[in-house]
Amino acid sequence: MTTYVLRRLVLMVPVAFLVTVGVFMLIHLSPGDPALIVLGEDRNPQAIAAIHQQLGLDKPLYVQYVIWLGHIVHGDLGRSITTHQPVTIAIGERLPATVELGAVALIWSLLVAIPLGTIAAVRRGSLADHLATGLAVGGVSIPNFFIGIVLIFFLSVTLRLFPFGGYVPFNQDPVENLRHVILPAIALGTAGAAINMRFTRSSMIEVLNQDYIRTARAKGAPWRRVVFIHALKNALIPVVTIVGLQIGGIIEGAVVTETVFTWPGVGRLAVESIFNRDYTVVQGIVLLAAFSYLVANLLVDLVYAWLDPRISFA
Amino acid sequence: MRWVAVAVAGLVLVAACGPSGGTSQSGGTPKAGGTATIALESELRTLDPLDSSLLVEREVFYNLYDSLFTIDPSLKITPGLVKSWDVSDPMNFKFTLQSGVKYQDGTAFNAQSVKDNIQRYLTASTSRRKSDLASVSSVEVVDDSHVIFHLKKPGATLLATLVDRAGMMLSMATVQKGGQNFSLAPVGAGSGPFQFVEWQRNDHLTLKKNPGYWKSGLPYLDGVTYRAIPDVNAILAALKTGDIDIARTIAGKDVAGIKSDSSFIYRDTPAIGFNGFELNTGTPPFNDPAKRQAVALAIDRYGILKNINFNIGVVGYGPIPPSSWAFDSTEKIYDHADAAKAKTTATGFTFTYKTTSDPINQQLAALLQSELATAGITMNVQTEEFATYVQECANHQFQACNVNWSGRIDPDGNTYAWWHTKGDFNDSLYSNAQVDAWLEDARVSTDQNKRKQDYLNAQKQIVADAPYVFTVFGVSAQISSNKIHGFTLYPDLMIRMAAVWKG
Repeated sequence: MTTYVLRRLVLMVPVAFLVTVGVFMLIHLSPGDPALIVLGEDRNPQAIAAIHQQLGLDKPLYVQYVIWLGHIVHGDLGRSITTHQPVTIAIGERLPATVELGAVALIWSLLVAIPLGTIAAVRRGSLADHLATGLAVGGVSIPNFFIGIVLIFFLSVTLRLFPFGGYVPFNQDPVENLRHVILPAIALGTAGAAINMRFTRSSMIEVLNQDYIRTARAKGAPWRRVVFIHALKNALIPVVTIVGLQIGGIIEGAVVTETVFTWPGVGRLAVESIFNRDYTVVQGIVLLAAFSYLVANLLVDLVYAWLDPRISFA
Repeated sequence: MRWVAVAVAGLVLVAACGPSGGTSQSGGTPKAGGTATIALESELRTLDPLDSSLLVEREVFYNLYDSLFTIDPSLKITPGLVKSWDVSDPMNFKFTLQSGVKYQDGTAFNAQSVKDNIQRYLTASTSRRKSDLASVSSVEVVDDSHVIFHLKKPGATLLATLVDRAGMMLSMATVQKGGQNFSLAPVGAGSGPFQFVEWQRNDHLTLKKNPGYWKSGLPYLDGVTYRAIPDVNAILAALKTGDIDIARTIAGKDVAGIKSDSSFIYRDTPAIGFNGFELNTGTPPFNDPAKRQAVALAIDRYGILKNINFNIGVVGYGPIPPSSWAFDSTEKIYDHADAAKAKTTATGFTFTYKTTSDPINQQLAALLQSELATAGITMNVQTEEFATYVQECANHQFQACNVNWSGRIDPDGNTYAWWHTKGDFNDSLYSNAQVDAWLEDARVSTDQNKRKQDYLNAQKQIVADAPYVFTVFGVSAQISSNKIHGFTLYPDLMIRMAAVWKG
């Protein structure tokens, strides 16, 4: 087990390296000059040249990459081009908001998905099944920014039940914090809820058709016990995979939702940094996103062993 | 966003027009206390005037820092930290400073502080103020309350420059203590009506009352909070839910609704910027002056004002807006669209117009396209992502580019950079020796009448040569809850909160 984890951790290094090369090339090769963005209406040739020199943009691209990589190895992601804030701090300041949003969205998606998926599987072909399936198709098809706008329009602007956008830290006012997180979490979590529901349903159907379920029923175990104890735990293995990937993908998912709800998280920072060609911040965020994917994948594999003792890492 | 040179501006109309009557609005006896929340159209990047380049940053600075000079709503230069001045010697400006002013960190504002601030703006490697202060050679401390600005050449625009960031005075003790992180948390650095509390990036920036403010009795509010809301529809929603009290811009289509709703106040006054699009005189088809003139003739400015700006603002003919003393009220050579005259000037050519994906810029592009088509001119629209578009326009890689200007207090700021042969914003590669001469003379002449004549001459020539097609002038607006009182509208778009109170 330990060897397995170590091997997986070592394997992350080359993957992360390839990610850094890719990100660095993508952002640097896209048109746009951070100096022009930073200077705005104050642009003049001297100021532009000074910024290029400060940022090392006057050097060849591979030299810039090697310098950047050298800093990263020492744990230094550099400073933001537009705000001069250290990138680790810029991301660190916003990470709690994104993690909170992602966690609440995930809880929302599971609260919806597992009961609905189970009901749909157990009562296959019933009205409940059709309704749940219809909702799932809707949930996956409607983009989260649209869900966000609709929620804002009805629940925030019209009915005034929730604040419109913004964020209040939990330690400042827990109630307001929750009031602010609900709408963006629903917007962000709905697509996941739909996918998780479909996975729960199909996996549950498969499990319910297996011999051991029939045996359990034949032995006289109550139906409720068979469904929730015997079937559900096994049926959730594929769901765990999907949920694990969703955790790894929180940052990308949050990009749009955070922008719509002016939620001060990493996703919105990513959007602004891309528009501003803030190379150092974009690189830092993509690196973080890549690592969270890799770590989430590893965790998923480890959880497998817990859910299904037949899987081993020998 | 973002800044400004673009886009956001034009359209977001805070554009334009409208009666404003007085620029100050009152509502009884000022009441102390309470806080106000203001929407900013984009996030700030820095709280240090030294490396600032965003309009939204200046909006905050005016409440945090004091400048050497201020303006009144008619753009006249008025005392700030400089109490009185003598500029009769064009190479040596003598300033007498306010006495008894303290920075929020307790250190005194004095002549040495002025010298240190100007020195910092002139020499720091990250300073964006160097070109603002290009005419300054040195600052001499005469005594605690007197300084002399020694100039390299006569600087007719210097006082106006010192109204803005280059004239904002900071406590050097706090600047030095803050080091690299100063621009993120300038606690106690200013002498303005409010002081810095916290900046939660992408969410809010909080200021609280400066109890030791040198203008007695001010400010009225206990604090001001800024929230960055980058979408005009979202700003309107936040205004309606009460999440914000004051906004500077909303979409033009929503102005009528706000005006008719008694829970809000809407007022506006002509601003100092201009809107339109630049034509590249260095490359076909617009290296041919007749083709530039044909485009300028075929555009229906009243149509743009009505359909894009919802009649907020006024049509524009030249670079200097009606709020300025150098405005040319006779300039109407491209008044109403004249497709017939455009056709006889030049027709049957095609060009590409670059703009951003902002919905209002897109509507404007479609309107221009149809207006030009009636004169037999084909305009293709190329929509680009912001950073790409900025780079291409700045590097002369365009035929026509939709770039607006937020404007400067002195007419020099609306002309020299754009149309002097060596101007920093001369994306159009326009060059006219006579225009250069007028603009240079207006920079050094201290006689305002002579300067005005220079600008009138230069404007006429620039408009006739059409390196830029002017469309409309925008407005500076107060869009607020009806609880906000004591708000004075300034043409420079800045919201000055010292005298604002909440009832």
